[in-house]
Amino acid sequence: MTVDQSPAWLALKSHAQSLSNKHLKEMFAEDPQRFAKLSFSAAHCLADFSKQRITDDTLQLLIGLAEQQQLPQKIEALFTGEHVNTSENRPALHTALRQPKETPLVLQGVDISKEIHCSLERMEALVEQIHNGQWRGYDGSPIKTVVNIGVGGSDLGPLMTCRALNLFTTDDIRDIELHFVSSMDGSQLARLLNQIDPASTLFIVSSKSFSTIDTLANSNTAREWLVNASGLPVELISQHHFIGVTASPAKATEWGIPEKNQLHFWDWTGGRYSMWSAIGMAIALQTGNQNFRRFLAGANLMDTHFRTAPLTSNLPVLLAMVGIWNINFLNIHAHAILPYDGRLEHLPAYLEQLEMESNGKCVTLTGEKLNYATCPILWGEVGPNAQHAFYQLLHQGTESVMCDFIAPALRYQGHGDELKAQHQLALANCLAQSRLLALGDSVLEDAANAPSHKRYRGNQPSTTIMIDELTPESFGALIAMYEHKVYVQSVIWEINPFDQWGVELGKQVATSLLDQFSNPTTTTDSSTEGLIRFVQQQRQEAGS
Amino acid sequence: MKVKVYGADLTAWVAAASLARAGNDVLIEGPDTQLAKPLQEISALRDEPGLLYQIELQMQEGRLKRTSSQDCKTNIHWLALEHNEFHLAQAIISELANEVTENLLIVNQCNFGVGATDMLQSLLNEAANQVVVYIPNNLQEGKALQGFSQPKRITIGSENSWAITMTRSLIRPFLQNIEHLLLMSSREAEFTKLAITGMLAIRIGYINELANLADQMDVDIDTIREGMGADPRIGNHYLSPGCGFGGQNFNQNISRFSEIFEKRGQNSLLKTVISENEIQKELLFKKLWQHYQCDLTHKTVSVWGASFKPGTASIDNAPSLKVIDALLAQGVHVRVHDPEALGNLQQHYDDHHDIAFCNDPYDAITESDALLLVTEWPEYWSPDYERLLQQMRMPLIIDGRNIFDREALEMYGFTYMGVGR
Repeated sequence: MTVDQSPAWLALKSHAQSLSNKHLKEMFAEDPQRFAKLSFSAAHCLADFSKQRITDDTLQLLIGLAEQQQLPQKIEALFTGEHVNTSENRPALHTALRQPKETPLVLQGVDISKEIHCSLERMEALVEQIHNGQWRGYDGSPIKTVVNIGVGGSDLGPLMTCRALNLFTTDDIRDIELHFVSSMDGSQLARLLNQIDPASTLFIVSSKSFSTIDTLANSNTAREWLVNASGLPVELISQHHFIGVTASPAKATEWGIPEKNQLHFWDWTGGRYSMWSAIGMAIALQTGNQNFRRFLAGANLMDTHFRTAPLTSNLPVLLAMVGIWNINFLNIHAHAILPYDGRLEHLPAYLEQLEMESNGKCVTLTGEKLNYATCPILWGEVGPNAQHAFYQLLHQGTESVMCDFIAPALRYQGHGDELKAQHQLALANCLAQSRLLALGDSVLEDAANAPSHKRYRGNQPSTTIMIDELTPESFGALIAMYEHKVYVQSVIWEINPFDQWGVELGKQVATSLLDQFSNPTTTTDSSTEGLIRFVQQQRQEAGS
Repeated sequence: MKVKVYGADLTAWVAAASLARAGNDVLIEGPDTQLAKPLQEISALRDEPGLLYQIELQMQEGRLKRTSSQDCKTNIHWLALEHNEFHLAQAIISELANEVTENLLIVNQCNFGVGATDMLQSLLNEAANQVVVYIPNNLQEGKALQGFSQPKRITIGSENSWAITMTRSLIRPFLQNIEHLLLMSSREAEFTKLAITGMLAIRIGYINELANLADQMDVDIDTIREGMGADPRIGNHYLSPGCGFGGQNFNQNISRFSEIFEKRGQNSLLKTVISENEIQKELLFKKLWQHYQCDLTHKTVSVWGASFKPGTASIDNAPSLKVIDALLAQGVHVRVHDPEALGNLQQHYDDHHDIAFCNDPYDAITESDALLLVTEWPEYWSPDYERLLQQMRMPLIIDGRNIFDREALEMYGFTYMGVGR
């Protein structure tokens, strides 16, 4: 029996039908205690579900579905290292990366907690060396600029966190200029190399497989630039200007990075779950080792909450189940991520990968085709800016969209009143938008008299997530909450969130097409063939 | 005359000793922690040639006494406090304002910045001849006593004629060699003091920049320097390139002057000079690093000279510290010699296991892969080259002060690198 035929699912289906004519404004009118009943707090985060199209009964039924899907056992399986990644037959132990050193976790007879902390300490030693100005470039200069080369999980997480925590630093660390380079076409790198000094630049090559073509292409360009600038042999440059962070040490060594400049993580760390490992080195470089530890501690706090709190008050579980409700029972397939804090500008891109690469699946764990919806389309933008872009569609378009509003309650403590006023302005906008989306123009007295193009229908569901203040801890907890939300949904949908076979074939086809540009054959399709011919034609005209 | 000197560092002790030597009855008041120490244990005194002897002598003669008491019917007070002790100066002056109600002369020799003397004056009653005068501190570590008693120039910053007359009579014994006795407002004198220090730093910064360029362009900075110095508009002073300047006062003054510019939103040349100087301090390490192709594992490196300049035991902001830090971070075994600063260095490195403190310069070069000359003490200028060749593992000399003759060294078979040549 598939989940959509199960009793809990069918119960939700009929519950949804009974609620289908109920507008959010009625729900608020009927129950003044809505916020008190439908908002939950843990680990620096408050999640308000009262603007979702749910009642107490809905939550109960959703928890029933979670129980039916054996969620508590599945959560335990995740934490204890069972092979939850079935297609690759391995565990997914990102939670272990943020466990305290003293908590052992034995996997096939090895205490991986020791290995994790050993790797973390090696990373910290390198970070310290760079902060002390004692990592030397080829002419003896201390490193001033660090460039993180990586893509996907090796880029989005560290980039997002560095931007989010850019105000966090400790007095004893030297300012390191940090850059992120990901794009395969070299456009970020080409611009950057004109601006930085080769002798004092260090590259962190972050790649789980150390065979990601995007990353290697950028790394090769960077190395060539250094060789040309220094006139030194490539081996010397690889030794003094590159750190490799990888789960494939042999490949990194083959590329030329000596063992002592390698930081390792493990095949049981998914790329999009990897910034808690040495992949997060850029975060430690910017915020300091101490703040990186605080970031891990925050995530660990959420982990503990997720693992121990009852489902009925478990934040990641509720966030996931409310999502399931919207997707599978209210047929909403678009999800907007709307942070009301400019420091979280990269959160939407990060969650796009986390959610869509994890749960954008259409077969079950046992390989059967699904006939219910899984991950919706996610996108987003810093809220106040998005208000001037796509909110029109949210308020008056034809699509139903669920939104996550995310904001810190406190900001600019210890700053002047002007900045505090700006934060309050952002918060007022955040609350105004979610209120209007939920209640529509019923918030006005005589809205019904307005012409139809000025009407707001409302009833668009949203969750508001407030953190107390944006700190390394609260941010770690926030991200861990979304990670676990994704896992919970995968358990309900009976899919594997930890593989990504859908990104493989494109790489292979691209490799096979490389030759076609110089030696075209008619083995592709007419579109591909025609486009390649267009490129060739342009090249001939440009004389290259 | 009766004079009371306030302060605990070199400036205060030099003033006290010199004023006593000139026949004044001098009391010196420092913090209680210093008062508890025997003179021999005060590092400022130990590091300065001849100072301890002079102080002991003046104490024996009974003209110099240490005190911590506030009682004082003295009319002349000499402030030689640290730059960050302005609040202390305010406290002292407020108290004196009540105790010595008229004819009170306070000489302010502290680097509190531009306008500080005026602020102190505002605590007093000028009409009753309670006056603060500013005399810039021109102390040169290593030559401090001579600098105080036989200056070529003195500036008195005051516009009060009673105070100027009093000050003149106080410093009269020190005016034999005087070429310039300048009078200006205290504010102008304070500004001038910082302006001079800044100018000197800029000259050194510039010649270092030229030397680094000369290194890459195959010209000898010594020749260039001679050519520049021959132009009377430029002259020869402060035109020696080297591996960076240090010392407490010099660095402090420049940094603080630079901060004044920044506070007023002006870009400062001095800021660049300061940051470039920090980079310059690592020059010898960089040359070594490049020579050994970025690999210093298992190397032994000798350092000659650790004090920030010859003639002092002080290692404040010394280039040697940056060089030694860089070497230790690479796991290099360091052997260092300095005629006077070894004690301070030993304290600084707390007996780090990779550093040997050698009392003999030739002990320091045993089995060495390079000799770095950081401070140009006179005894290094003409070493026993044969002995160096015999004892060193690699005959490599990196000369941070351009004291050796390249041709001669190469003739002996050394590999030689200087700064800008």
